[in-house]
Amino acid sequence: MSPPLEPRVEERLRQIGEADVLVGIPSFNNARTIGHVVKAAAAGLAKYFPDQRGVIVNSDGGSTDGTQELVASVEAAAPAAILVRHPLSVVQKIVTPYHGVPGKGSAFRTIFAIARRLGVKACAVVDSDLRSITPGWIELLLGPVLHEDFDYVAPLYLRHKYDGTITNSIVYPLTRALYGREVRQPIGGDFGFSGRLAANYLEQQVWDSDVARFGIDIWMTTTALADGFRVCEAFLGAKIHDAKDPGADLAAMFVQVVSSVFDLMHVYRERWEPVTGASKVPLFGFPHGVGLEPVAVDVERMQRIFGQATRDLREVWEVALLPEDLEAVTALGGAAPFRFPDPLWVRAVYGFAAAYEHKRLPREQLLRSLVPLYLGRTASFVLETAASGAEEVEQRISTLAEEYVAQKPHLRQRWRDL
Amino acid sequence: MWKDVLADVIQETFAGFRQELGAIGPRLLAMAVILVAGFVVAGAVRLLLRFALRRLGFDRLAERAGLALGLRKVGFAGHPSGALAAATAFFVLAFFVLLALGALDLQLARELVSQAFTYLPQVLVAVALLVLGAVVAGFVRRGVLIAAVNAGLPSARLLAGFAQSALLILFGAMALEHLGVGRQIILISFTILFGGVVLALSLAFGLAGRDLARELLERLARKGEPPREDPLRHL
Repeated sequence: MSPPLEPRVEERLRQIGEADVLVGIPSFNNARTIGHVVKAAAAGLAKYFPDQRGVIVNSDGGSTDGTQELVASVEAAAPAAILVRHPLSVVQKIVTPYHGVPGKGSAFRTIFAIARRLGVKACAVVDSDLRSITPGWIELLLGPVLHEDFDYVAPLYLRHKYDGTITNSIVYPLTRALYGREVRQPIGGDFGFSGRLAANYLEQQVWDSDVARFGIDIWMTTTALADGFRVCEAFLGAKIHDAKDPGADLAAMFVQVVSSVFDLMHVYRERWEPVTGASKVPLFGFPHGVGLEPVAVDVERMQRIFGQATRDLREVWEVALLPEDLEAVTALGGAAPFRFPDPLWVRAVYGFAAAYEHKRLPREQLLRSLVPLYLGRTASFVLETAASGAEEVEQRISTLAEEYVAQKPHLRQRWRDL
Repeated sequence: MWKDVLADVIQETFAGFRQELGAIGPRLLAMAVILVAGFVVAGAVRLLLRFALRRLGFDRLAERAGLALGLRKVGFAGHPSGALAAATAFFVLAFFVLLALGALDLQLARELVSQAFTYLPQVLVAVALLVLGAVVAGFVRRGVLIAAVNAGLPSARLLAGFAQSALLILFGAMALEHLGVGRQIILISFTILFGGVVLALSLAFGLAGRDLARELLERLARKGEPPREDPLRHL
């Protein structure tokens, strides 16, 4: 089940022998930021886990910008100024390319394999393009596993009210309704997990699928929830990335994320079907609010696309939506003020999930046709919360999540009947 | 005298008719039996095929491929499995009709049957091409429609319809070409039709869709520039 490792990595593992804690950093052409991430990880291990044998693993996808060389050259010793105690051992570094399908999942697989080989008790994975990571993140991601016996630590970030709209309108509430646990950011990207959960991940037969390419984050969270591992959250503060390609196609990204969630619904059908209600998971860290600077969202464009779709995509939507819901969605096209009601949105998502399961259309086309509905829903959300503060917005998202839970019988029925 | 001649003629006529009837009668009977058998077999094929296709999920497959939508558009309200079963039954019946004609053992019938059997594979390939064309065109139409709506293009239906029509024309021309029906005429017609459609669309696009044309050209011109960042972070 383990991926092949290069001979020099095997040799390095023999030299290290065993370790207690591990921080994995997947990368691909992240030379601009990865140095900071490695330093923060090393400092976090030295400062918060001085008694543990720590290892940092960089699993790289064939960077051509010197990422691997940069990681190898970064001084892993933490500056004395931040240490309360001197660590008992030096933090070790392993820089390795990963093999298999190109993608973050394959990079993680190599990290899981190294974690198992070293027999570590707790692991954390952090993105290599982070600008806001601090040594404290390492404590928050590893601490609950080492000291509180949790298996999985999901991140909770400080975000603007309009950040993460796919997460807020689909991934979070759907995951909460399906598996009965409230994990606010299931696709956060930075996680902590136990050595036994890493071994469990490694044994799954998913490493040639989309999980290896782009669906690893939601897969890790869902697997931990559905397989009954102990899950908690850690508040990490703001998450600031290196600037991403702004030309990235929303529809392609949307299809990747939503297909990952729907695929997991197929895998874990027997787990989610009997679940009713939802409960909170323990939270570590110290949550605080965020200032809401205005963001110029082009609501008019989103409404325009939604309105056009209500005229042009009826023939596609009718395979997923009930006739009365199709009529209701169509009627929204010219409604003023524009509001997309929660119950209608939830039934639409459930309808698309069932149509996806039953392959009523080619799956990519089906999910791409959901994008205008999502834009309509997002436009409605932005209009509704224009004057709201962070807490009100969070309450609004929680209300939507409760609607997902309340309508779960509808999902079960559509899943069976479609 | 003339009465005897008349009686002889009538007798000869009846004798000839009896002789002809004696010769062709069994063939006519065989023809009737084959036709009845043809109706029975075609009916059975239709029922069995419809049942089997439904059990195999053909209707769902046809829905996914866009074939069902295409059938609805041409006024066929039933299931795609029913349409395919009926078409197959029609071919089976046609096969029995040819056999029945062959049973007459007439020169004309023999030639007709021979030609039909020679031509049958080409007909089947042409039908397969048309079905494939309908499926591909339906798939492409839907893909273009969704992509155009997501891109905010106001003429999404027009673009999708054009893509579908072009593919249907292409596959139709290929099917006729395969049948060998007026090859030159088809080629010329196709060229004129296709060119005409493109010209018409160009004119329509340029005259009626000036705003859209300007927007598209502006987008093309902006391609080299860094795209504007979406203020929303969707993930």
